[in-house]
Amino acid sequence: MGFSKVKKEYYGYLFIAPFVIGFLLFGLYPIYNTFALSFTNTTIMSSKAEFIGFQNFERLFADDFFWTAIKTTWLIWLLNFIPQIGIALLLSVWFTSTRLKIKAVGVWRAIFYLPNLLVPAAVAALFFSLFSFYGPVNQFMVRAGFLEEAMHYLQNRTVARSLVVFIQWWMWFGQTVIIVMAGMTSIPISLYEAAMVDGATAMQMFRRITLPLLKPILIYVFVTSLVGGMQMFDIPYLLTDSRGGPGNAILTNNIHMYLKFSSSKGHIGAASSVGVVVFIMTCICALGIFYFLRDKDSSSYDRSIRKLLPRKSTER
Amino acid sequence: MFANYKINTIFMRVFVYAALIILLVVTIVPIWLLIVNATRSTTEIQQGLSLLPSTHLIENYKILLSKGLNMPRGFANSLFVAVVSTIVTVYFSMLTAYAIVVYEFKGKQLFSNFIIVLVLIPQQLSIVGFYQYMSKLGLVDNYASLILPLIANAGGTFFAKQYFESMLIQDLIDAARIDGANELGIFHLIMMPIAMPGAATLGIFAFVASWNNFFNAFILITSIEKYTLPMLVQTLRGDVYRTEYGAIYLGLAITVVPIIIIYALFSRFIVSGIAMGAVKE
Repeated sequence: MGFSKVKKEYYGYLFIAPFVIGFLLFGLYPIYNTFALSFTNTTIMSSKAEFIGFQNFERLFADDFFWTAIKTTWLIWLLNFIPQIGIALLLSVWFTSTRLKIKAVGVWRAIFYLPNLLVPAAVAALFFSLFSFYGPVNQFMVRAGFLEEAMHYLQNRTVARSLVVFIQWWMWFGQTVIIVMAGMTSIPISLYEAAMVDGATAMQMFRRITLPLLKPILIYVFVTSLVGGMQMFDIPYLLTDSRGGPGNAILTNNIHMYLKFSSSKGHIGAASSVGVVVFIMTCICALGIFYFLRDKDSSSYDRSIRKLLPRKSTER
Repeated sequence: MFANYKINTIFMRVFVYAALIILLVVTIVPIWLLIVNATRSTTEIQQGLSLLPSTHLIENYKILLSKGLNMPRGFANSLFVAVVSTIVTVYFSMLTAYAIVVYEFKGKQLFSNFIIVLVLIPQQLSIVGFYQYMSKLGLVDNYASLILPLIANAGGTFFAKQYFESMLIQDLIDAARIDGANELGIFHLIMMPIAMPGAATLGIFAFVASWNNFFNAFILITSIEKYTLPMLVQTLRGDVYRTEYGAIYLGLAITVVPIIIIYALFSRFIVSGIAMGAVKE
């Protein structure tokens, strides 16, 4: 009604302009700049910088420290993600079960989510205090007779790593429960009713109805958790000596990058190369999960991806 | 057979509640110990565990301040950054999402897909390039470096888009147009007030994200007067506070309790908001 197509286009572009400009200036350019820096020997302390090709990357790939960080990050992420998704599936089934009729589902969920909102830096410092030599955990363990004498938990590689895994799990399982459960409640009940009429068992219904229909949600949880997990920093950095110790047990990619960044000369060229490798690794894995787990028949995500890609098959 | 089914159900129920209670204890105990220990003196803490609060809160606060750590200023800094971040995130996310939902323009679908991809891009890994760029612009040690990137907040925009799509707004917009309202006016004066519940949910997430942010602030903010709470927290582990356990716990509690209060007030919005960001349609 007097609102022409041209006008609609004009306002559309006007309204998204701040986002686009903001993204170009503060999202895309920093990524480009990080890539560009990774091919130089730039330091914070000197204005001179040379293009050195792939030298940063060659040095990185020859460095055991780098591979340790990659392995440690993957290990910590996997060890906390598997119980996270397992417990989330279990709790979601229980919470939505018409047989069990669990009371106050909203309250349980809300409490389980609470740790996710707490300042991670404070959580790390809290566990640092709880597990310090004179801390409450030692008091409890010794007095209850589990330990003969107090021990230095955070100087033990296994304990330190397990603790990071536990804290990450503790902070994130509540969120995973909420998301998975939202996915489960969006599955039409009529499907389960039909299956029950056909005499399906609970396990069969879970495997044949719940899991396949939950796939988009599981992919979402999987990918967002992976992207976050590869950038893990606050907890492992602040839990021990701020170097990923003891014995690099909790050295993550981001700590490695930060150590290069904050080294005495501030090797930001070398630090960028860590960021670039992890960036590429994360993107490839995220896209890989999408590609391999997607529905073979065209889902909406699939269709939108196809629109983005040029058609190859017709050219042959 | 039916009686059997009933007994089984009761057994399962007992088992499930037991498991839930164990998870509850694991979730709550560390937080409870933090709050309780903030009220206990260092001697009490050294003497043993307790789940009951004591009376040394004010004493701990005095010790906390006496060591040169300016908690009130850190609190004010965090609050300032979080409030501005919240306003910027909510306004620009809603604006961008509104354009996607209401207007037709070339490349709209592509732009919309692009935002989903952006949500998944590990932005923290470009921090080094971001830092060098900010130092060229003279914005290191300036809160602007923490706030400006939020103009293009992909996660916030995705959430706002889901929200606008869930409310039917086209009729309202058409009616306003017939009344002669201009497009900017429709967005600011008609849509924003109606979309308040969604904006509030988005705002809570933006506030918490900013309040909790350690990594970016740690890299970009250098002078101690500008430290936010998560940055002050890490100094609590230093030598000055080595034996002042009560004060350490209190310092941690000060950073954590405001969020717990917000959560207690708005948990309904927050829980439904998380689900909305993930479940499409």
